[in-house]
Amino acid sequence: MTDNNQFNVEQFNKMLSVWAESMKLPTIGPMYAFSKEFGEFASEFINLGKVMSDMKTSLDQYWSMVNATYAKASKETAEKAPKQFLTKDDFEAYRKVMIETFENAFTDLFSSAEFSKVYGKVFSNQLDMSKGFQNIVERNFKALNLPTRSEMDEILKDLHDLKRRVRDLEKKEAA
Amino acid sequence: MTQLEPLPKPEPQGPAAADQPVPAKKPLAEAINEAKEAYRKLEKTREILHSAGSIEVGQTPHEIVAETRAYQLLHYRPMVANTAKVPILTVYALINKSYVLDLQPDKSWIRSLLSQGFDIYLINWKDPSVVDKYVSFDDYVNAYIDDCVDFVLKKTKVDQLTLHGYCMGATMSTMYTSLHQKKVRNLALIAPVVDTSKDSTVIGNMARNMDVEKMLATIGNLPPEQLYACYAALKPFKQGLAKYFNLVQNIDNDSFVGNFLRIEKWLYDTPAIAGSAFKQWIDDIYKDNLLVKNEFMLGDKLVDLSKITVPLLNIVADEDHLVSPECSVPLNDAVSSTDKRLMRFHTGHVGLIASSYSQNNVLPKVGQWLKARSS
Repeated sequence: MTDNNQFNVEQFNKMLSVWAESMKLPTIGPMYAFSKEFGEFASEFINLGKVMSDMKTSLDQYWSMVNATYAKASKETAEKAPKQFLTKDDFEAYRKVMIETFENAFTDLFSSAEFSKVYGKVFSNQLDMSKGFQNIVERNFKALNLPTRSEMDEILKDLHDLKRRVRDLEKKEAA
Repeated sequence: MTQLEPLPKPEPQGPAAADQPVPAKKPLAEAINEAKEAYRKLEKTREILHSAGSIEVGQTPHEIVAETRAYQLLHYRPMVANTAKVPILTVYALINKSYVLDLQPDKSWIRSLLSQGFDIYLINWKDPSVVDKYVSFDDYVNAYIDDCVDFVLKKTKVDQLTLHGYCMGATMSTMYTSLHQKKVRNLALIAPVVDTSKDSTVIGNMARNMDVEKMLATIGNLPPEQLYACYAALKPFKQGLAKYFNLVQNIDNDSFVGNFLRIEKWLYDTPAIAGSAFKQWIDDIYKDNLLVKNEFMLGDKLVDLSKITVPLLNIVADEDHLVSPECSVPLNDAVSSTDKRLMRFHTGHVGLIASSYSQNNVLPKVGQWLKARSS
């Protein structure tokens, strides 16, 4: 059994090293860049998984707060609302109580420091996820020798600065 | 056997019996009629809501006198032969659209000022696109507003104008005045955001933990969907639910429906906000409160509120749930103007500019203040 295991491990390592050597070969065209960055691709995917897990935690906290507020408001509504529904006015009174109670409960929630923190985390996690996808797409674009969003961004920044300088110079000259 | 006995025949009912009330039948008939009526109203509401986008707004006659990728400069046709000598340049916010100042003829802020004899210009900001993510307040204030001010001064052949801003536009007007005061005769502001440490709104609370730096790097401009999420948190049940109940109940009242649809159209007509400007708005103004500390930078220029000496009118709404009055009021202490006035009204952020209350209570006083300083 031990010999067999040893054999398997050796075979496996040999296979991996052949693969690793193949990846190092100066391949032609886009595959060269792809093979060069294979490790980084993998780490982007691992990072994306971590981001999604963080986002799930934040979203759980978010929904837990929303659900707790909903439950509290429902309980208060039941306490304050008419106990029987015989006339149209009873329904109307229920509607008013319900809206007032839910409004107060959710306004308190949205105004709280705890909600602000959790909302900020959800917002940040969503941006991290978008960024993770963008990074992967950018690597593919680079591999295909296409301009990436980051590169376009640099051009936008330059364009913006140039336009502003031209405007200011024109204004100075006209004065 | 008793069970099988036939029921006694009902006695024949004469005309007198027909007049007697039948307690079980009448409520049922009423309930059916009410249900039919409710269904009719709901159907009508559904149809009307689908047409909300096509309702007319901004009908006061005007022409576009200047236009760039960033803005249109509108000039409203004067309504009196001799207008006040000092023109008014109105600076709208970067949130939603400027037609809220001219929502409908009987509730138009612009029309009221025109009828009071003022010459009105308005900066109507265009929607920023993805290429505008680096447009900052420095561009809005020191380039776009400055260009509009120069245009108006040249066209009207005067040296100074009244700068009149609403909400974020009021804050931008304040920044502009601190840096280009020689071109400003009066500063008239509606709900300016100034001291955010005193802001108690839901939006201010949500902004405190937003990573706007990351947003700028990842998605550029603030998308409208994010703004909708913030709006949804403001009066979530009164605005999100109760107002639609009211609409159904008043669906046969044309005037009510018209008002409702115009406000609704405006609420959902939300452009993106340029990323760099939004970052300054949240990080510098809301989180670090730099404006009232006189530490806010526009490019390489420091905005120092204490340098403002022009006559100041600060109009705030006590029930404003977007900009707390406590956030606007400190401006009067921050400036060095000797002629300064604070007007407080018992209404909300939109009610202050686009309501019957505004027409009857706010605008006459504002017009009076402006008139005394526009000759």
